[in-house]
Amino acid sequence: MTSLLAATGEPGQVHLTSQTRIVAAVIAVFFMLLILDLIRRDRLQERYSVIWFVAGAGMLAGAAFPGLLELVADLMGVRDTNVALFSIVLLLLLGLALNFSVIMSRQAAQITRLAQERAIEQAKQQAEQPNGNGSGQQVLEPKEKRL
Amino acid sequence: MRTLVFIPAWNEEASIAGVIADVRKSLPEADILVVDDGSADATSERAREAGVLVASLPFNQGLGAALQTGYLYALRNGYDACAHLDADGQHPAEEVARLLAEVTSDRADLVIGSRYHAGAVAATGDYRPTFSRRIGTSVFRFFLTLATRQRFTDTTSGMRAANRRVMALFSQHYSPDFAEIESLQLAVRQGLRVEEVPVRMLERAGGSSFLTPVRSAFFIFKGLVVLLVGQFRPRQAEPEQ
Repeated sequence: MTSLLAATGEPGQVHLTSQTRIVAAVIAVFFMLLILDLIRRDRLQERYSVIWFVAGAGMLAGAAFPGLLELVADLMGVRDTNVALFSIVLLLLLGLALNFSVIMSRQAAQITRLAQERAIEQAKQQAEQPNGNGSGQQVLEPKEKRL
Repeated sequence: MRTLVFIPAWNEEASIAGVIADVRKSLPEADILVVDDGSADATSERAREAGVLVASLPFNQGLGAALQTGYLYALRNGYDACAHLDADGQHPAEEVARLLAEVTSDRADLVIGSRYHAGAVAATGDYRPTFSRRIGTSVFRFFLTLATRQRFTDTTSGMRAANRRVMALFSQHYSPDFAEIESLQLAVRQGLRVEEVPVRMLERAGGSSFLTPVRSAFFIFKGLVVLLVGQFRPRQAEPEQ
């Protein structure tokens, strides 16, 4: 990403050299290929890949058409293109991190419920064992097999 | 009237058998379930040897998740009332029986055993809270009372009795991090009748409290955030029973 911002200079001007543009474009293409490969090898689910594709495409677009960056900076009312780019990327990453926290919380709750269901199922089986009276007060063999 | 007494236990092999025996003596009619919260020691073996049901969580999930397992089990298996107490031997079972009496006589939906309630102090004598615990207790007491507009003296008590309305609510919503306080707030917000009963508690039989001053401070901070957020939580629809 830094290669996208290699140029510094007067505000309002786009100072990407063709070299940095080529490097950025190559990185973007490799990035998208990496995403594709991760999906292909079942290491990444499709539903989580869309956002990364969009990010890669954005990178590619920025490299191919530097004028886009200037346009976006204008729309944001920022005179320095670099500041605009940094802000956008930072906000995007912040949003992504939050998104992951939400997903993580949901999965933690799901795992807890799964563990509880298993524990309850285990106790129910214990209660239903033939030597018991079902009230849960039966004495079991001391050496119960543990999972 | 079917009653379940459940005991959340995490690495309590030394005291669990004694607690079970105590509950049997004071509540001979009740079924007993030990919720083993991923113990690394022989807690679940000790409990099975004592002849009670054991629900073992496959890994340690925290007290809230363990308690919720008990409520869920009670709800699913049609118990009319349930109660829980700590596995470390601080809670005398005869006191749990008094809490249960409040629930079965339908004077309250949820009953909390309080160490600090007027009336408990005279009877206690055996229980001396540490300094950091006393601070934490008064902070939570103040803010929970403020949040619920109902006076609570012992907000972190792990000795409680509940009926089916509470089972239905807690098996759906129970904070894994801040079980004791948030559950009280939730129950009051849901319009349930929550009542405190003074009880006698004992010193810990084994092990040490997890509260150090730094942890206490963090604990209090977290608790206040939880309470604040809880005030803005939407009311839940009354769950099916």
